[in-house]
Amino acid sequence: MLLADFGTSYTKLFTMAEDSEPRIVPTRELDPAFMADLATGHNAKRRGRESVNELIALAKGGQRLIAEPDTVLLDCGSRDIKFIRYQGFEVVDMGWNAECGASMGFTIELLESYYNVDYTTVAVPKTGFSVTCGVLGMSNIFDAVVTGSTETEAVAKFVRGIARNAFRFAGSPDRLYLSGGLCDNPLFLGCFPCKVIPLGRFVLLEGLKEHLRSKRGLTRALPATQLLYEVEPFLM
Amino acid sequence: MEKIIGIVGIPPLEIIRQINEEQGRIIDLDEPQLPLPMNREDHLPQVYCAILRTVMLNAMNMPLDRIYIDIGQGKCDCALHVATVLQHLLTIPVITTRNQDSKGFGFPICRSNLPLTEKLQAITQGVQSCEPSPDYPPSVPTAGFWGVPPRDFSLLSLFPNSTHVYGWTRCMENKTPADINLESYCNPAVPTVFFAQSFCAKTALAKHLAEHHPKGLYVDCDVNAGSSIRAKIEAFLELSQNTSPAPAASTDNGSPGDDHAAG
Repeated sequence: MLLADFGTSYTKLFTMAEDSEPRIVPTRELDPAFMADLATGHNAKRRGRESVNELIALAKGGQRLIAEPDTVLLDCGSRDIKFIRYQGFEVVDMGWNAECGASMGFTIELLESYYNVDYTTVAVPKTGFSVTCGVLGMSNIFDAVVTGSTETEAVAKFVRGIARNAFRFAGSPDRLYLSGGLCDNPLFLGCFPCKVIPLGRFVLLEGLKEHLRSKRGLTRALPATQLLYEVEPFLM
Repeated sequence: MEKIIGIVGIPPLEIIRQINEEQGRIIDLDEPQLPLPMNREDHLPQVYCAILRTVMLNAMNMPLDRIYIDIGQGKCDCALHVATVLQHLLTIPVITTRNQDSKGFGFPICRSNLPLTEKLQAITQGVQSCEPSPDYPPSVPTAGFWGVPPRDFSLLSLFPNSTHVYGWTRCMENKTPADINLESYCNPAVPTVFFAQSFCAKTALAKHLAEHHPKGLYVDCDVNAGSSIRAKIEAFLELSQNTSPAPAASTDNGSPGDDHAAG
């Protein structure tokens, strides 16, 4: 059975009983006829024989991966941001911002190639721009460069503004779990004013696995000792 | 000749009775009545309540004989300002009212097992009558919808039939639109979506109530319900049902506290 998270920029694939690790394919490289058996992501209904909505997949993926009963999971995708708040392992609140959170991941990746910025070497800035979304904050970069900042400094301040925006959207928690491609961006992680525990890019695929498990009537979740992602919190 | 009379909000029953007696045809200007895109409305700011922008679009493009706009506690301050704009723009009478009706007519539709879309259609239609709603047997609630009738009724199709209706819509059926106690009421035993139109003053109450509800989700949307709003509601309903035991049935309507006194 082929599981897929059809993201805006990247598609994450996992074949049950065949793959040991998920695969990542740029979404634009997919054959137009490509279909998955069970899908999530914004193209799930078009490309999946069965689909699960992204928030449900995120919520179930978090329940599978996170051992903390009361916490927040934030997903930063290419074009939107989503959060799930758990209390006693149950979902008590959620949000999905496709407007003011629009194009966050997409814009950060775009800036990386446009300005040739290596996010692994950029220092976390002490201040940042006030941005509302990946599109509306861009002019800050141009203004900063005009007034003497280096391009890298300006981009870093923009990324900080984006991260702070996402942090507030998630309810400004003391610590949060992060999912999505931006988990691989140390500058982005470092710009959060709280502890960040990155879970990586495959949380929604884990949610699909959990969906299958619950459909088969099995009980939920791995015990805390079997967390798939054992990482140190990223603390700023 | 039949008069065509537009109403906004819920004018007092006395007004509805007068219109019924003169056999006028009532048009609910809060609802989309014309196949016109929203960007045809340019008298109000674009960032403004979609219901009132719909009112403006209807009022400016329909052959009406007069308009009643309820303002104040029973509707909202923004309706007062829209009334002022319409009074300047139109030559027909634009009459403001303040509905203080306090006699409760009950809310059997809110607690029935009708599909939620049908519930809200029946309730908004009922505003044009001085009669109480027909009697429906109460259902056991498994979900709640709190708020005003949305501009985009399609989001109501996501809810199960066993959804009970709260908020201003319940006040509408009860014919007491200014009853803030009834409007503020919700059932803590029922997972509830607290809905308000974007840019509506009621978003404050919706958010506040959602934060204090054990299983509440605050949702606002502008003109149409986009995919993220729909996904949020869908996820909330599914995940709430997975984690919450269904409320125990009772002889009345299935859940303690859901029988808030009518009026």
